[in-house]
Amino acid sequence: MAEIILENLAHAYAPGAPYALKPLHMTWRNGGTYALLGPSGCGKSTMLNIISGLLRPSEGRVLFDGQDVTALDTGKRNVAQVFQVPVIYKSMTVGENLGFPLVCRGASPQKIKARVETVAERLGLTQWLKRPANALTADMKQLVSLGRGLVREDVAAILLDEPLTVIDPQLKFDLRRILKEINEEFRVTMVLVTHDQTEALTFAEEIVVMNHGEVVQMGSPTELFERPATEHVGWFIGSPAMNFLPALREADRIVVPGTGLSVPVTGPLPQGELKIGFRPEHATLAPTGGHIEGRVARIWFEGSDEVIGIDRGAHRVKVRASGTSPARTGEPVTVSVPGDRLSVFVNGKRLSSG
Amino acid sequence: MYRQKYIFLLPGLLVLVAIILFPLLFTIRVSFSSWDVYNPGLNWIGGENYARLWEDARYWEALTRLSVLTVGTVLLQYTLGFALALLVWRDIAARRFFRVLFLVPMMTTPVVMSVIWRTIFHESLGPLNPILDAIGIGAQPWLSQAGHAFAAVMIVEVWQWTPFMFLLLLAGLLSLPNEPFLAARIDGAGPIRTFLSVTFPMMGAISVGAILIRLIEASKLMETVYVLTSGGPGTSTETTSYYIYIRGMRDFQIGYSASLSLTYLIVMSVALTLIAKALIRLMVKDRT
Repeated sequence: MAEIILENLAHAYAPGAPYALKPLHMTWRNGGTYALLGPSGCGKSTMLNIISGLLRPSEGRVLFDGQDVTALDTGKRNVAQVFQVPVIYKSMTVGENLGFPLVCRGASPQKIKARVETVAERLGLTQWLKRPANALTADMKQLVSLGRGLVREDVAAILLDEPLTVIDPQLKFDLRRILKEINEEFRVTMVLVTHDQTEALTFAEEIVVMNHGEVVQMGSPTELFERPATEHVGWFIGSPAMNFLPALREADRIVVPGTGLSVPVTGPLPQGELKIGFRPEHATLAPTGGHIEGRVARIWFEGSDEVIGIDRGAHRVKVRASGTSPARTGEPVTVSVPGDRLSVFVNGKRLSSG
Repeated sequence: MYRQKYIFLLPGLLVLVAIILFPLLFTIRVSFSSWDVYNPGLNWIGGENYARLWEDARYWEALTRLSVLTVGTVLLQYTLGFALALLVWRDIAARRFFRVLFLVPMMTTPVVMSVIWRTIFHESLGPLNPILDAIGIGAQPWLSQAGHAFAAVMIVEVWQWTPFMFLLLLAGLLSLPNEPFLAARIDGAGPIRTFLSVTFPMMGAISVGAILIRLIEASKLMETVYVLTSGGPGTSTETTSYYIYIRGMRDFQIGYSASLSLTYLIVMSVALTLIAKALIRLMVKDRT
């Protein structure tokens, strides 16, 4: 169990090639749960492989509890990794699979047996210990992979590389719960790589949003939701995505022309394209008197909520309302948003004062 | 309905009858006759040929010799082929060059290569003995002594067919998923343990396939023996197919050699089936 520091870390797959992972500096608390969230090819797996030691960063250092492990081989780092595809050693039984990391480290047979039994008990695998691991279902194989990490008492971190992708939806839920429980019980640092925002938001205390090899924002689920650092985060997190409307500066206010949306500003603004954004969850519908006037284009359900798409000129604004709203497709409607829920974005970046 | 579909099956069926079914049935019939160079024709002598075969020590010796030769060469081919495949599997310099280089023996004609090897093994003219002399081992009676001749046949077989093993096993290695190897690295397994616990078990199925193909091929071993030693010295390198060839094509004891061939076919089918079952049980672990 360790605190992980990524010190001025960057990686390019060849000298002179563009960064696969742009320079970053980050500290991960011991026992915390973190999620690396981003679209495919954004550098999240690169980052994970650097932490596990499968990849050597071209710049910077990786520190576990203050100790430099950048040059250390994977096996010596004491990390565990669960892959997208369940990995089991198919010639071995479930018990032998769980004990394998200890066998590799030359632990005594009594110790191996005791640890394997403890971990199997925790993961509910006791009855399977003597069975060939290959006969298990995909979700149980993932549990075995996870178990191989837990069997080492001194494991620094458990890295999860999209481990729930191939798991059936109901079992996904169970597995996620087990991961959370294990984290609370063993206080082991866990890092989950995923492109599924629900997975990231429900699992992690802190989420690292990545895009194009760059860390865009790191923060708690609430922070990402309430104060997305960039348009990309606002768009990537939340369902449906955040609404963005082009805006202009008028004296000491930023306004969306033709609407009642406005945010006060003081001082100079960076040059560039201005937008005002707000969450569909924070907007409400009113027959008249709202900030934005439009026509209902489409209504669909997400869970028990209703999402109403409203067309206003070339732009569509989405509103998320709980239960059934009185809105009807094709009818005019107005949308109101509280002023403190509006965010101003300049060139895709959020204005901190807004 | 659609009775014409049988017309489309006919060509295949005719070929099958002509090249497999008829020869097989005809051989069975011939094996119960005394057809030879003096009395050609299909008379009926009952099981006389089989009684004679049972007493024919030379035949059973050849079969035993063939078994040793087959199992020995195939195991060597497997070990060497696997080692070479592991060598050029991962990123090494010029690996494409080596991959092609290792395949060269397989692309050559067995008879031609046997002639070349006969020259190499030649006790006074060949290049091998002077080399052995120079490094202090001393010249060896390669083709004139029983043990040496047997070894010579094995060397040529291994040389010729290791590339085949190499090819199949390399294809197998290249098709393996990467994750188990990463997992083994993370779990702290060294190269030997990784091979024993990860690589080898995952290669079980393809290994069985490669070994069986080679066993079937090697059990028909004939041309190397024919060119290299002609079964000699004495009968010390004679294999079953070579012995059947002598009886049938040289002595023209057609009836007797038919009974030898049939027995050979049956023994080989049973033995290879049993070996296949044993190998699958031993090496293929990914049955659920």
